Amino acid sequence: MPTVRIALLTIRLVMRTKVALFFTFLFPLFFLFAYAGLIARGKPEAVAYMFGPVVTLNIMGSGFFGLGIQSVMQRERGSLRRYRLAPIGPRTMLLSNLLANYLLELPTIALLLLAALVIFHMPMKIGWATLLVLVTVGTFAFAGFGLTIASVANTMQEAQIYNNLVWFTLLFLSGVTFPLPMLPRWIQRVAMFFPSTYLVSAFQSIMAQAEPLLDHWMEMLVLVTSGVFGLLFAVRLFRWEKEERISTKAKLWSGVFVLPFLVMGFWMNTRANPTAMWARSYHVMEQAPAAGPNAEAEKVNLIENFDGTQPSEELLHRWQISTDSDVSGHSMGEISLLTPGAEGTPHAMRLQGHLAPGPNNTQGYVSARCEVQVPANSRGLGGVEFEARGEPRVYQVGFQPPYVAQSGSSSSAALTSANAPALPFPAISFVPGEAWQNVRLPVAWLANPASHGLADSPWVLEISVTGPPGEFTLDLDQIRFY
Amino acid sequence: MSPLEENSVLVSVQNLHKHYGDLVAVRGLSFDILQGEVFGLLGPNGAGKTTTIEIIEGLRQPDSGSVRVCGLDSRQESMALKERIGAQLQSTVLPDKMRVDEALHLFAGFYRRSASVHLLLERFGLVEKRRTFFENLSGGQRQRLALALALVNDPELVLLDEPTVGLDPQLRRDIYALIERFREEGRTVLLTTHYIEEAERLCDRVAIMDRGQLVALGTPRELIARSGQGTRLEIHLAKPVGLDRLKLIEGVIDCHEADGSYLLRAQPAAVTIAALVRFLESEDNALLDLHIARPSLEDVFVEMTGRKMEN
Repeated sequence: MPTVRIALLTIRLVMRTKVALFFTFLFPLFFLFAYAGLIARGKPEAVAYMFGPVVTLNIMGSGFFGLGIQSVMQRERGSLRRYRLAPIGPRTMLLSNLLANYLLELPTIALLLLAALVIFHMPMKIGWATLLVLVTVGTFAFAGFGLTIASVANTMQEAQIYNNLVWFTLLFLSGVTFPLPMLPRWIQRVAMFFPSTYLVSAFQSIMAQAEPLLDHWMEMLVLVTSGVFGLLFAVRLFRWEKEERISTKAKLWSGVFVLPFLVMGFWMNTRANPTAMWARSYHVMEQAPAAGPNAEAEKVNLIENFDGTQPSEELLHRWQISTDSDVSGHSMGEISLLTPGAEGTPHAMRLQGHLAPGPNNTQGYVSARCEVQVPANSRGLGGVEFEARGEPRVYQVGFQPPYVAQSGSSSSAALTSANAPALPFPAISFVPGEAWQNVRLPVAWLANPASHGLADSPWVLEISVTGPPGEFTLDLDQIRFY
Repeated sequence: MSPLEENSVLVSVQNLHKHYGDLVAVRGLSFDILQGEVFGLLGPNGAGKTTTIEIIEGLRQPDSGSVRVCGLDSRQESMALKERIGAQLQSTVLPDKMRVDEALHLFAGFYRRSASVHLLLERFGLVEKRRTFFENLSGGQRQRLALALALVNDPELVLLDEPTVGLDPQLRRDIYALIERFREEGRTVLLTTHYIEEAERLCDRVAIMDRGQLVALGTPRELIARSGQGTRLEIHLAKPVGLDRLKLIEGVIDCHEADGSYLLRAQPAAVTIAALVRFLESEDNALLDLHIARPSLEDVFVEMTGRKMEN
């Protein structure tokens, strides 16, 4: 197969050229270190967010410079003429360039991935097959760009001008350098017309939030279309000789190349509006715990943020509802998963229901409980905090040993058991507002866990509501020790 | 090879036209190349030789006219045609970091029929240079590689565009020897050149081109004989003699004096020399020195076009 032979030899030639080696392997690593170090500050979750832009940048670079400019250079140098004497056509030349470009891309991505995993401890939330599909589709799409520019440009200078125009536009306006949620709304709208936006955002949603690839089929379709269009143009406008020029009319025709992006951009702007999705991935990056010992501490201190990778129902399995029905009341309560959560995180928990008047003129109540393991070393911790919002009612939050909670009591009390030291079980009341707000429950003994000997057993965090009959809604998120 | 095959037409160029913008490169060119001959396209730079050979190679499309090679139409059946021809471009450029043997293996792999790369390396004196990058080859080595590449598919027709241009005389002679071997192997060769001696030495037949047109076609000997230029004789005499008397000698076409010598153009030269000796004896004069210069294709070109080849 001439296509494969030329591709393999092209790869060998690249391996012999120091400049090409530098741009193929070292330069992408430099970007990874810059992005992961400076923007993601080495936080593993944030590195996962920035991995997409680094890979996209690399894929774009190989399409524009590796493939596009190289094609023009081959033509300008006159080395295509020798191939033209042989019984091979433009298709063979183009496909071999495409194949070489792709085969050179794979080890580069592998190297980037290895560096991200080993050096930055990036969490691998993406499957190998998904990663391969994204890289393949992306490489094909930007190969289309490179080939189109190489076809339309009559000279090297012209190619450089087109390249820089497109390259810098995509670089700064599609999340490759600056995360889109950081940029003004109008730029986000413009970004919806650029294919690099979709490669970056697909990477980010999948890498940072473990979203399935199929959720991004439309973006993938546009990227593949861009590759197909590019290839068609390249075959149609292929020139072996430097002297052969293409007409202005043919150049204008190549404007058809942008059609799929226009359609995608309009659709995204009017229908899909992906900005919320971008914001969610971005939030994961912003909230990412630091790497190293601090990260461990952050993880240990976290009680629940409802943002794990398991299916949504399972995120609530730790929680238990109890109501006054135990004592023949009629109050009802239920918990559900809320999307999005506080400050753009993926999820939060919603506790809602209604309070009915209890028997003998007592007030009804509903509570949600969750078992909590106190960190092995809780020295320096001050208590439990969380984000809350809801209807302005009085709620209580308490932190209790399991057997007190099991007694059904929801008020703070003193432990009277003979074999345990007397401890106050902290509880406070709070009234949530419409916006998320931080609620803190001080737990004095955490600072000196040895004092009562109960830190090893699971404790219970209980959030309860009581009061006048009626509906209630309370949202909770980011529950942690502080 | 039977006489019939020997004389069969391998390349047929009919009424070829090609222009680049306002510049007419080839106008109404027609000629045939017979199987097994070395055919030369001779002409000054800009005569349209390269355009013609590149149309035959399939690198350029003619505006009108037709080219058939090995019975195949150069436009309709270009892939089949490329299988059967080998070509060397006026300047062959390969990627800088491509090694000599890699280039040969790569190109040999494009054809259904291919020659042994090892034998090609040996034949073109490239064995020692087989692992050398293209960028590190000298001009002569590049040219030998270009010729070897032209043979990777063991072609019936070899097209060589100015194969010796820019090479020193020794390298030029090496290339001549290689081309003569092509003929011995029964290959048909079309070469373009603006070196007279190359055409005279190598070519069975020569087509002289000027400004995109054919001005003469035939074997070098025929062309020279056909021209009315005559042989140039430079004589040095013991005593001076009048030019008008020299002009009366049999066969002398033209005569003038320069630096004490006489320059004669004569046709046929042998008759003139005999008559000259008789004349000098009768005049009691003596021939001190004699130089004979046969007319060359250059003279033919000058006669046909009124211009010198270098221009």
